[in-house]
Amino acid sequence: MAFKNISLAFARCLSSLQPRFRFDWEWPQANLRVVVDGLAGALVIGVVAATPVAAQDKPNSVGLGVFTFTSGPAAAYGMPGKNAADLMIDEINAKGGIGGVPVAATFVDEAQGAQGVIAEYRRLAGDAKNQVMVAALSSATCLALAPIAEQLEVPTVGWNCDTHQLLMDGKSKYVFRPNGNTVPEFIAYAIYLLDRKPDVKTVAIINPDYAFGHDAAKIFTAALKALKPDIEVVAELYPKLGSPNYQTEISRLTTARPDVVFSNLWGADLENFVRQATPRGLFTSSQAVLALGETVLQRVPLPDGVIVGVLGDGWWMSPDAKANPETVKFAEAYKSRFGEYPVFPSIKMANALIYVKAAYEVAMQKNGGKWPTRAELAAAMKGSKVATLTGITQTRADNDGLVDQIVGVTVKTSAQPFPVIGDMVRYKGDSLMPLAGQDPLAWISTLKPEFAKSLPKPGSYKIGER
Amino acid sequence: MRIILTAAAVLTLAVLPVAAPWLQFVLTLAIAKGFAALGVAVLLRAGLISIGHAMFFAASAYGVAFLAHAGINDLGLLLVLSVLVAALTGAIAGAFLVRYRAIFFAMLNLAVSMVFYALCAKLYGVTGGTDGMPVPIPAVFGVVFAEPVFKSVLFYLSLALMVLVGLAVQRYLDSPLGHALSAVHTNEIRLEYLGIPVWAVLLIAYVISAALAGLGGAISAFAIGRVVPDFAFWTASGHLVLIAVLGGIGGVPGAFIGALFLELLHSAAVTVTDAWNLIVGMALIIVIMFMPQGIYGLFARKEASSP
Repeated sequence: MAFKNISLAFARCLSSLQPRFRFDWEWPQANLRVVVDGLAGALVIGVVAATPVAAQDKPNSVGLGVFTFTSGPAAAYGMPGKNAADLMIDEINAKGGIGGVPVAATFVDEAQGAQGVIAEYRRLAGDAKNQVMVAALSSATCLALAPIAEQLEVPTVGWNCDTHQLLMDGKSKYVFRPNGNTVPEFIAYAIYLLDRKPDVKTVAIINPDYAFGHDAAKIFTAALKALKPDIEVVAELYPKLGSPNYQTEISRLTTARPDVVFSNLWGADLENFVRQATPRGLFTSSQAVLALGETVLQRVPLPDGVIVGVLGDGWWMSPDAKANPETVKFAEAYKSRFGEYPVFPSIKMANALIYVKAAYEVAMQKNGGKWPTRAELAAAMKGSKVATLTGITQTRADNDGLVDQIVGVTVKTSAQPFPVIGDMVRYKGDSLMPLAGQDPLAWISTLKPEFAKSLPKPGSYKIGER
Repeated sequence: MRIILTAAAVLTLAVLPVAAPWLQFVLTLAIAKGFAALGVAVLLRAGLISIGHAMFFAASAYGVAFLAHAGINDLGLLLVLSVLVAALTGAIAGAFLVRYRAIFFAMLNLAVSMVFYALCAKLYGVTGGTDGMPVPIPAVFGVVFAEPVFKSVLFYLSLALMVLVGLAVQRYLDSPLGHALSAVHTNEIRLEYLGIPVWAVLLIAYVISAALAGLGGAISAFAIGRVVPDFAFWTASGHLVLIAVLGGIGGVPGAFIGALFLELLHSAAVTVTDAWNLIVGMALIIVIMFMPQGIYGLFARKEASSP
């Protein structure tokens, strides 16, 4: 029946074509002239516009494309980054800019999706003034931009870009991440947790439902199983990103009664989750591990003893940060300008800009004070070791960054009205990273319980002891 | 006169990337979205609004990614096969969706497309979840190009396809099969009495529109180099309907004009301010309020008034 109908309809369509094959189109001469003239004009404009600018001259400003979320739910993470970039660029310019040239950033909103971000990247890369891109926050954006960065040969510094897949092939020439990735970030929590609560038996996971949440769950579970094989994961929940309501998940978690609840929720999701879980006693019945907990310390009253960290070393109150007058000044300026102390995404952004500035300085030193090219900047980033606001970031041969990992628990102090991180540990960046080219998950499964014994213990990272 | 205008427009598009190389990507994307919006516009003829066409866009884009992953490495083959994937998806979904009209059609399309979106995002092991899948640069008839050359090839290929497919769709809309669509809109029962199978007419239209969306999706997949579930999200579908309405549903050029307008407006807005959403939204309201026929309506009306 259906086929008959379709063929019938087709047959009618075909029979109608017959009288239409007539060629009596007109093409008046005058109109053709208009087209040709227009074409010639457009070509002239094209040739004029495409004339390249000499890259070696010192420009009147250092262009930077900075990619972050400035709208949508992810702006909860992206705006602290943008604020930090604004502040850091002002500070750099107040000291004379980079090599005497002031920095001018163009911000690109990642909320417009991969297509818009790529279009903007290409546009900014087309301007020779923009020699470096600071991109990006979201792992999906970074993965989409990485091949383009390689093709266009533009040094691209991932200021966040957590995914361990980004530089896994080790072939990147122009993509850098002076930052930790998901592997060391979440192994650190497994080690810290087992040091603090060695008798943990059951774990529940509640992560956002996208690659970052799934990756973190995979790495955290793999590390726990390798270090303590009898651990059982009793629940794995993946609520949608941006959910306002976590009551169902909290019910599941409280009935499962796990020893530990691990979560890498962030932004407004984390605030909502904490607000809804606290009155239902989740934080008293289970040990909570909030991987991005530092970002909400100043906003929601987290109970004492929650394991939190900063996915790296970027805590503005860490002993190293407190000992660095630049960091103290930055934190105070941030507070007076934006009404809050910086959170770790802010520090990650500020550190990325310091990394870019350092690359310019090294490149100019190497080529005798001339303005560096993009290739020279990338070469300066390769294998570099840069002192940041909160520690040191070292760039490996595969362009991945080695940064220390700080983990601790929430404690109340008299110094601040909000909980801070105490009982801290600072793991060395290289100790938690697989070697370049090694498959991260395979590496994690080779870890032995003895591995954790060699690492520093909770509480070993204290103020006054460095 | 119409042919002259079209030829001038296509030639202008062809030389624009010479003036501003970054525009090439924006224009490729605009043409790709124009194909998808054209698909939506075909169904709009029959008074059917599909708020789910991003599904076919994404189905074909994922098709490219999977086929490339499976070892097929030829631009032409990938394009044809992925458009077939979209058409097949369209045939399956359309078989039951075209039984519905008005809001039910719109909502069911939305529902099906969101199921597809959820699958792309949740089947983490297969589709890579929200991080998506990479699309490598394929060979073009056995010739392997470097990235910038390939992107130019892709741009000019889409431009050529725009003209060819545009003519074909124009022909289709002008055929009895195409005219039957507007007849469905005005009086469906009369059509049945005339002996024209409405279900088949609509299914053919649905498959054609899915294939058009698929062609757009495949071009975008090559242009962007990465396929993410966001391609299938309902906002992307809404975007396509918007383009179709914006350009004017009167004819084939409308969809492409709408897509070019929206993409260029977007590109311009993001360079000016963080509040790019506001600018794009305002411009859309202005167009919809003061140009009910869409942007293409301006040209069409002018032509109608001139002898």
